[in-house]
Amino acid sequence: MDKKNISPLYWPWLPAAFALAGIIVFIFATFGPPASSSGFVSTMKGALQTVAPNYVENMTHYAMMPDTGSWLFAFVLGMAIGGFAAGRTGTIPVRDVPEIWEKRFGNSRIKRFAATFAGGFIILFASRLAGGCTLGLFISGSTQLAVSGLYFGVLIFAVAMVTARLVYGRIGKEE
Amino acid sequence: MGSEIWLGLFSGIAFGFVIQRVGATNPHKMARAHLMIAGDIPKFMLMAVILSAIGLLGLETAGVANTRVLPTSLVATGVAGVLFGIGWGFCGYCPGTTWAAAGEGRMDAVFALIGGLAGAAVFAHLHGYLVPLLYDPFNVGQITLADWTGSRPAAVVLLVFIFGLCIGAIHFLWKEKNGSQVP
Repeated sequence: MDKKNISPLYWPWLPAAFALAGIIVFIFATFGPPASSSGFVSTMKGALQTVAPNYVENMTHYAMMPDTGSWLFAFVLGMAIGGFAAGRTGTIPVRDVPEIWEKRFGNSRIKRFAATFAGGFIILFASRLAGGCTLGLFISGSTQLAVSGLYFGVLIFAVAMVTARLVYGRIGKEE
Repeated sequence: MGSEIWLGLFSGIAFGFVIQRVGATNPHKMARAHLMIAGDIPKFMLMAVILSAIGLLGLETAGVANTRVLPTSLVATGVAGVLFGIGWGFCGYCPGTTWAAAGEGRMDAVFALIGGLAGAAVFAHLHGYLVPLLYDPFNVGQITLADWTGSRPAAVVLLVFIFGLCIGAIHFLWKEKNGSQVP
């Protein structure tokens, strides 16, 4: 383990990986492959059903997903609760604009919020095209030895590393 | 329906708690991982897969595993992987972490979440057009490593070996620079 990476604020990666794997195996035993991008579709289905039931009924993508009364929605809601509980009981500082982003683009919240809105849009659009995200396709898929998960995993890591270099440029080298 | 919801909620709370504590909900940490400065998040992800794959093999042996392998579409999975990588590298969030980070109180994650809902809705609207165009013609089926190795345990050994190599590579190639350590 890299000594320089040990910070009392964060759990070290190895025990944390055991904890996460325990949860993932529990999910495989009690539900099926864990997924989080599907939770976005369930949220939209639940919301749209109340205002445009006919539209939702005619859309394949909503027909293949359960609505908000499902494991998938309960899971993402739970993740928000878990994040809240961990944040409140821990000492990790919470910021609206990450340090590295601030160094590169300044401290404008509007700019950062617009960027994460766009980023969120892209990652969910892409996840729905592939059928899953970091969790639902890469982690769940690789755990099941699926080629789809490994293929997706190689691409997302490689492209994210190139993108981060382009986005942060010289700042990234100085960090 | 009742027990399923409580199981989902419980699993989500535990999952969200762990990924917050390891720092995966912090986009600063994620950017440093992508810039090859701090390796703990990718090591954490890869190690979690190794351990989960071994655990899942145990569940399968015991006959209590619920699996569903997603098909590989050479074009759709590939295009999606590239797009996803651009969004992930740009904003530092992936779909799961936006929920936990929004719960943690990060306002930029709330916007990533809203953007994600919009992205999912737009894809759902275009599903009937995009899936027959990009996904179906290049779908090579629910292939797994076990199709090549012949048996699932052998495939798990192969996966553990490959992911172990990746963790080793990250350990040697991802380097803290100038001793700068920002939480």
